[in-house]
Amino acid sequence: MAANAAQQAPTPNWPYGSNSSGESKVHENPEWEKARQALASISKSQNSTKTSPTNHTTQQTGPYQATDSSAMQQQQQQYYQQWYQQNQQQYAGYPYPYNYYYPMPPYGGPYPPGQYGVPGGYQTPATPTGQAPAMPMMEDQSIRPGYQGYQTPAYQPPQQQGPGQGLYGGPGRVDAKKPNNSNMNKGGQQLWQRMKQAPGSGAVKFNIQKRPYVMTNQNFPSGDQAPGLASPTATNPSPGSVAATSTTSTGAAQTRPQDWPQAMKEYVQRCFTACESEEDKDRTEKVLKDLLQSRLQDGSAYTIDWTREPLPDLKTKQSRWEAVPQRSQENAIGRGGATRGRLGARLGNYRNVFSQRSPSSSSSHSSRSSSRSPSPHSRHRDRSRHHRSDSGSQSDSSMSSDPRLPLSRRQQKGGRGRGAGRERGRGAAGERGRGRGKANRGRRNMEDLASGIGKKRKGGNAGLDFHDPNREAKKQSRAARFHTKLRTEPLVLNINVFDLPNGTQEGLSWDECPIVGTCQDITKNYLRLTCAPDPATVRPISVLRKSLIAVKTHWKSNQDYLYACEQMKSIRQDLTVQGVRTDFTVEVYETHARIALEKGDHEEFNQCQTQLKALYKDCSSDNVGEFTSYRLIYYIFTKNSGDLTTELVYLTPELRADPCVAHALELRNAWALGNFHRFFKLYQNAPRMAAYLIDKFVERERNLALRAILKTFRPSVPVEYVQSSLAFSDLDSCLAFLTGLGVTFTPSDPSKIDCKVSSASLTTL
Amino acid sequence: MAHITLNQYLQQVLEAIDSRDGAFCAEMLSFKHPHVANPRLQLSSPEEKSMHLHSFQAHKEENWALPIMFAATLDLRIFANNAEQQLQSKGKGKVGDMLEKAAEQLMSCFRVCASDNRAGIDDSKKWGMLFLINQLFKIYFKINKLHLCKPLIRAIDSSNLKDDYSTAQRVTYKYYVGRKAMFDSDFKQAEEYLAFSFTHCHRSCQRNKRLILIYLLPVKMLLGHMPTHQLLKKYDLMQFADVTKAVSEGNLLLLNEALVKHETFFIRCGIFLILEKLKIITYRNLFKKVYHLLKTHQLPLDAFLVALKMMKVEDVDIDEVQCILANLIYMGHIKGYISHQHQKLVVSKQNPFPPLSSVS
Repeated sequence: MAANAAQQAPTPNWPYGSNSSGESKVHENPEWEKARQALASISKSQNSTKTSPTNHTTQQTGPYQATDSSAMQQQQQQYYQQWYQQNQQQYAGYPYPYNYYYPMPPYGGPYPPGQYGVPGGYQTPATPTGQAPAMPMMEDQSIRPGYQGYQTPAYQPPQQQGPGQGLYGGPGRVDAKKPNNSNMNKGGQQLWQRMKQAPGSGAVKFNIQKRPYVMTNQNFPSGDQAPGLASPTATNPSPGSVAATSTTSTGAAQTRPQDWPQAMKEYVQRCFTACESEEDKDRTEKVLKDLLQSRLQDGSAYTIDWTREPLPDLKTKQSRWEAVPQRSQENAIGRGGATRGRLGARLGNYRNVFSQRSPSSSSSHSSRSSSRSPSPHSRHRDRSRHHRSDSGSQSDSSMSSDPRLPLSRRQQKGGRGRGAGRERGRGAAGERGRGRGKANRGRRNMEDLASGIGKKRKGGNAGLDFHDPNREAKKQSRAARFHTKLRTEPLVLNINVFDLPNGTQEGLSWDECPIVGTCQDITKNYLRLTCAPDPATVRPISVLRKSLIAVKTHWKSNQDYLYACEQMKSIRQDLTVQGVRTDFTVEVYETHARIALEKGDHEEFNQCQTQLKALYKDCSSDNVGEFTSYRLIYYIFTKNSGDLTTELVYLTPELRADPCVAHALELRNAWALGNFHRFFKLYQNAPRMAAYLIDKFVERERNLALRAILKTFRPSVPVEYVQSSLAFSDLDSCLAFLTGLGVTFTPSDPSKIDCKVSSASLTTL
Repeated sequence: MAHITLNQYLQQVLEAIDSRDGAFCAEMLSFKHPHVANPRLQLSSPEEKSMHLHSFQAHKEENWALPIMFAATLDLRIFANNAEQQLQSKGKGKVGDMLEKAAEQLMSCFRVCASDNRAGIDDSKKWGMLFLINQLFKIYFKINKLHLCKPLIRAIDSSNLKDDYSTAQRVTYKYYVGRKAMFDSDFKQAEEYLAFSFTHCHRSCQRNKRLILIYLLPVKMLLGHMPTHQLLKKYDLMQFADVTKAVSEGNLLLLNEALVKHETFFIRCGIFLILEKLKIITYRNLFKKVYHLLKTHQLPLDAFLVALKMMKVEDVDIDEVQCILANLIYMGHIKGYISHQHQKLVVSKQNPFPPLSSVS
């Protein structure tokens, strides 16, 4: 146990990763679900989880599983949504509700050729190499639409892993189990679907995919090959692939759970029985999947003595994946931050798949194509597909309620340029459907195979990608090749990943990629950067120096703040972009801060102050004291005693001796003690531009002071005293201030304030 | 323990989890545990711990894992602290960045706990709230984001468990809330919380008691309660001795000197600005002496000017005297009024200088 535990902890991912999470996983899962169901008694919790609709899953399953399932749900939802979208568009003829609830039906055999139109889409996927699995790249877009349509079916199975799928595998079973599936929305739907489905369709599909799955590793490298190839390949399936297809299909047939040798099933059961924990089971599941697939494919599953077969040694298996844990960790850190625990790592796979929707979608697409053909195989596939769709629909209810759905959908569409792809896929599909004869089928087989491979690869990618620390980098480099701008991560992921920007941020840090501008314009309008700066529009420092002088003179003569602010901002931007942090930078910020202060633009002023504070650490300036005093005064304004205290901590004796700082400290002292007399005296003697800043809250202080005065003096106080105490420049402004507060003057002598009466009225204000 | 193998260690952890022995498991997982020093266990990376923060959420209707979360979050905060310091010493990173990230994580845990409404009171994860809040307080106080404390305080105020948490947690909580109240100039409340904290703090935690006193003393002094010499001595807080003496004597000069002398200490503790407010009390005591000397209810303002000058208050004039008096009257420290015409302070015949504890 201990050993197991040890292995588990570091490797939570590997099972999934190894599976090549993408489609292959999807396809395989249904079978496995069946197997599991058979073992229901043994692995209670797991089974129960899967059996019940996704919603319920959470509670029943262990913590990890619960999370997984939810993640899957999300995936499902999105996929579903995608699919649904496409479906709707493609099969416009269908009434909305129909599509909605029974997403799969369109693909079913009964459908008109139009449905099969999708195949065109699937061709693309078929090329294993061509579609860079990882890549939702622009180039792929055209292809992608097709995939996406397929996505749903492919993905749903994993989520639905539940018994329902297993049931579907065999027609007879379907009926029996249906009740389970239909729990939520469907009674009638399922029936309908069933009718449409060709009997026995489900299993085949899985098989095909499995095959590819086995090949995953081999294919995987190819997957990384130039994505550009994808589309061409897609259209021209290689002849070689056909042959492969046939084998695949046979293999697929074998894989059907119903066909499994009893001994093998028992073996599986034994394996699960040996598990002591959920993690064990998970791991075993993965190992078994590998093992059984290979056995089934090479046929040895039917020949070997399962009773003697040793239980899978998790350890040895693991060695294969030793690298994974590390990767996953890295990944987890990069993406989810360290916070994502073991669970996170595990989830990671799902999330990842999720995030990589486009790749997966492409793969799913291919899978769909396979199911499409009318051939017996295809029928099986259709069936399986139906299962999936079914499951999809089940989950649908929960999904549709998910507010994120629309968002994700939009993201997918917009972000990936799916729309265009979809169109294409549709067109291709139409053509295909019509042409689907035997020849077509052959072709399709080829495609299937290819797609399977691609899928495999893709799936592998999806799964492995997650672990691949360089994935982002690769993606970026690939994107760079095509001069396309890629989102570093799908938006959806961002929701879960607060840490994501890490990598990007650092990558984008101006310090690390300095550019040198070539623009010679003295003036330049400020435009907020939305993409990487172009050196041609950035001014070098020599030009910026002239710019600063020009702005200063312009400001002095015209006092046009809008113009000055914009020019200063563009200068600041150019400096930032070029990573310039010199005395000149300080000067620019100081200048802008002063101008902003003069005009009372506190937003800009604060921005400059923040920058200056950081800049002063590196660059000395004669004005450190001045701006430190501004900061202190600003804290008085915001009454931020906490920051004020912190600021005091860092005041060096030299800084305290600075006249500006000394003034600010005195001001603070007077302010803290309510010594308005001293406060306003200091206000009148404020050095440099401090008065502008104090103006910001002088009214507030006057108000307070007046209250104290009115409460203290009896019976009256001369207006003159108030004027001088509160530092009004002239009597009129003082009177305006007083009357504004509703102060009452002594009837006999208007130059005196009736304190008692005024105090009462003032307190009620 | 220091030499067990990884397997043994994990076995123990597993057993703890299986038996739902949260406390032991927490001990095992904590980085304070000796296993951390064990080179054979170095595989157990930080990754491992953070996962527990998440698994925690899924345990519905049970809270045995709370101790694990406590240990993990505590470690998390300490790690963040260290990371912060290391980054700072290298001059990298934004100030408080690490701590803020840790706070985010703690917040997510907190949300889990706070939203656990379904479980019975005994199994509720709400029992974890206060611990998390305390951790968050520590971070927020460190990064000077006191405003973030408000929702947390509200959450506890509205909780029906607030008086049932462990004393240790409540002491910590009240300490921070008291400090916050002090910074918000809500001295009455600050006194209440800090006093609770001080009286309930375990007697063996002298260091904590001292920390509490650092904030409790200024607040008490502002409210008119001066600490005894013994107390200051016991907790090694003699920095306050002169301040106390100066305030009670109305010795402005001494107060200024004391504040300057221990300025660094006071500023580092964040109480300099509070102690500065003691000047107002000192003015009051000084002026009270003037009143007692003159034995009249109509006090010429010049008398106060002389008193202030005696205290070496520079460049003070009669207007400033009026200003200071106005503030004292406004705040209720002196009952009376100023006749501007006669330049006199007229004080109430009854109790012109009400006791500090009755004011403000």
